[in-house]
Amino acid sequence: MSSDCENQVKEPVVATAEARRAFESSAFACLEKEFGAVRSDKDSWGLTAVIAADKLRDSVLFLKNDPQFQMDMLVDIAGVDYLGFEDYAGPRFAVLYMFKSVYLPAHRLSLKVFVSEADLKVPTISDIYPIANWQEREVFDQFGVIFVGHPDLRRILNHVEFVGNPLRKDYPAHRRQWLSTNDYMLPVLEARLEAKGYKILSRSKEILPNEEEYLTGSIKK
Amino acid sequence: MTAEAQESNFFTSKLDFVVNWGRKNSLWPFPYGTACCAIEFMSTESSRYDLSRIGSEYVRFTPRQSDVLAVEGTITYKQAPILKRIYEQLAEPKWVVCMGACATSGGVYDCYCTVPGIDNIIPVDVYIGGCPPRPESFFDAMFDLQNKIMDESYMKQRTERVKEQLEAIKAKTLECKAELAEFSHEKVNEIKAGVGDLKAAAIRKAEFWKENP
Amino acid sequence: MRVLAPNGEEKTLMALNIGPSHGATHGCLRYMTALDGENIVASVGEIGYLHRGFEKMAERGTWQQVIPFTDRLNYCSAMMNNFAYCHAVEQMLGIDLPERAKVLRVIVNELSRIADHFICVAAAAQDLGSTTGFFYMFDSREMIMVIWEKLTGARLTNSYGRIGGLYRDTYEGFENDVLAVCKQVGKNLHDLHACFDRNRIFLDRTVGIGVMPAKRAIEWGWTGPCLRACGVASDVRKDEPYYDYETYDWNVVTGTKGDVYDRLMVRLAEAEESVKIVQQALKRLQPGPVSVDDPRIRVPSHESAYQDMEALAGRFKTVFEGIRVPAGEYYSGSEVANGELGFTLVSDGSGKPWRVKVRPPCFTQFAAFHELVEGSLLADSIACLSSINIIAGELDR
Repeated sequence: MSSDCENQVKEPVVATAEARRAFESSAFACLEKEFGAVRSDKDSWGLTAVIAADKLRDSVLFLKNDPQFQMDMLVDIAGVDYLGFEDYAGPRFAVLYMFKSVYLPAHRLSLKVFVSEADLKVPTISDIYPIANWQEREVFDQFGVIFVGHPDLRRILNHVEFVGNPLRKDYPAHRRQWLSTNDYMLPVLEARLEAKGYKILSRSKEILPNEEEYLTGSIKK
Repeated sequence: MTAEAQESNFFTSKLDFVVNWGRKNSLWPFPYGTACCAIEFMSTESSRYDLSRIGSEYVRFTPRQSDVLAVEGTITYKQAPILKRIYEQLAEPKWVVCMGACATSGGVYDCYCTVPGIDNIIPVDVYIGGCPPRPESFFDAMFDLQNKIMDESYMKQRTERVKEQLEAIKAKTLECKAELAEFSHEKVNEIKAGVGDLKAAAIRKAEFWKENP
Repeated sequence: MRVLAPNGEEKTLMALNIGPSHGATHGCLRYMTALDGENIVASVGEIGYLHRGFEKMAERGTWQQVIPFTDRLNYCSAMMNNFAYCHAVEQMLGIDLPERAKVLRVIVNELSRIADHFICVAAAAQDLGSTTGFFYMFDSREMIMVIWEKLTGARLTNSYGRIGGLYRDTYEGFENDVLAVCKQVGKNLHDLHACFDRNRIFLDRTVGIGVMPAKRAIEWGWTGPCLRACGVASDVRKDEPYYDYETYDWNVVTGTKGDVYDRLMVRLAEAEESVKIVQQALKRLQPGPVSVDDPRIRVPSHESAYQDMEALAGRFKTVFEGIRVPAGEYYSGSEVANGELGFTLVSDGSGKPWRVKVRPPCFTQFAAFHELVEGSLLADSIACLSSINIIAGELDR
């Protein structure tokens, strides 16, 4: 089977170490010149460029649209909490963005944005890469980093009644939180309909459990 | 229900046997499969292990048509209300098989988001150890459940249920009686006041018919 | 709910909830749809019902103690996750595996891939109403399970990978078992194609359903068979080869349209390619060590620990203190059955990982699920869901 539709045809290209090194040096030179990026000393295996939070959107747009780099896929967004990290002085949190190019396999890099505990704000890139929507929600859920401009910043992995951010180092692993009822999704569905141009005239009611809360019912002592 | 029916006699014990025999050989599972154990359950029901050998070939994904709730996999706090809801939706008679370490005790996940055992939420009949348990373990659990079912007494359950219902009816009757008494007390007074008039009217009527036969 | 459509028409839509406990949601995902008749107007997904705290648990133990948790990410092909994690740590350590370990990892990887693809297609067949396909698939899968049992002692969650090698060497007769499985897989694939290829119901339910254009798929971060079904020959095994994948003779399978049919058939064709790789790898299997010989990384064997003081100390230190991975941050992606499974590892130089972040391949696929189903029929959403192969364990970690 081969591709014959309007899609750009991708032939397998093997990423060599030379190609990777060449990409890393040229990409970092561009990022340093245009956005004042600093090469992270923590990543001795690949390229991690530390970017100021206000330059993030510009640099991501540049990396995505530049024909030389073509970082067309956002692979992952990871939050890191450095509370209690050995020999570390700096902002408490960091958000790592991993990018790769599908058509140019040697192209992989990470961007790193430091976030201080006092100002937990990072601009969103969910309008540039749609997948960032959920990945940013996850970082928000687990670390409490707020992505400014995100269309729908809710918890994604933990339930609605959860208090705190579980992957922060000061959250005890055993602090369990019961959920008393179900999550409600109708408002989200209505928001999605409104985003598609529908106007809600009358909202339907969420069907709630009719009696007492589930988990304080007759069975649990 | 009379006292005779509560004691087991030839008729009721045979009926118990027949009912239990029927129940134990047609246990339709509801696979509440969340994680790895669900894959082993799929192996259990597929051709090599073949769960239908003990009459459980119908895997129903609706709680209203199934007898055994097989909880397969980790239950998180986000899922706990749903599991409880599904248990409540299951029609009687119902049994719960708790498959795997995660459902039994939280397993390796001793963490902020996993329920340490589903017995915090719902009653469990059979636990299966293992992470995940082998299909043979699932069969073993089903056999245990079958033994458990054979020990149950259909008539006893029925008597208990009827007893419960009777008690509920009794309580309701008492309540109604009290209400009725209060109501009738008022009515009696009203009637007493009206009785004199009625008497006079009746006498008048009688006299009228006496004079005009 | 009453809505005013963009074309000015007033409609009544029905909100329908599917999942988290639903026969077709394979684990526990949930999506809610707004239905106009039988057409899906809008759909939103919700995950997190199997969030078991993998990332928090990983921070509590040593580097090796993460391995059993990785089993339970994608439990359909547990060992590939072991190897992906071990591969990431090995790259941080900068070690190279012995030849036999590499070849064995390739064999196990590819057999796992077959098993995983078979579960995906079996479940899809089941959801589309073909129980026959389900049984055919589980036939050869059970044979693979028997090999796993002999090889590792467990059927599903094997924990066979170790940082710097493998848990143990193979058993006697491993090659013959694998060859028998290859034969059986070929037979099952033949049966399946007989089941599906000219099956009108199957074709009607799958062809042209849930189409995802390649450009959009890349923006959504799709990887693996789902992206290849869109016609993009992207495969980490080919692009950034590891375990000498570039030296094997195999092809990257791509689809043309990116619909449900392509996604399922790419999986079946990939199983064929995997058989090819396994057969080639078996020929390369030479006796030798399966782990690096470094007591700082790989726990010395019991035999040596009983006789040698240094081995005992090495065993003690590796188990209690863990492997000293150099401090730093590293992302490594490997091609597992569902796509690119990435591990972002942050090490502070001690024996415990500071942070382990998993990049689950089906997270991105489920995030784009609403684009697949909006505008299609409700029944087609079930076909779409089973074709993108959501494994809740890795979706929610």
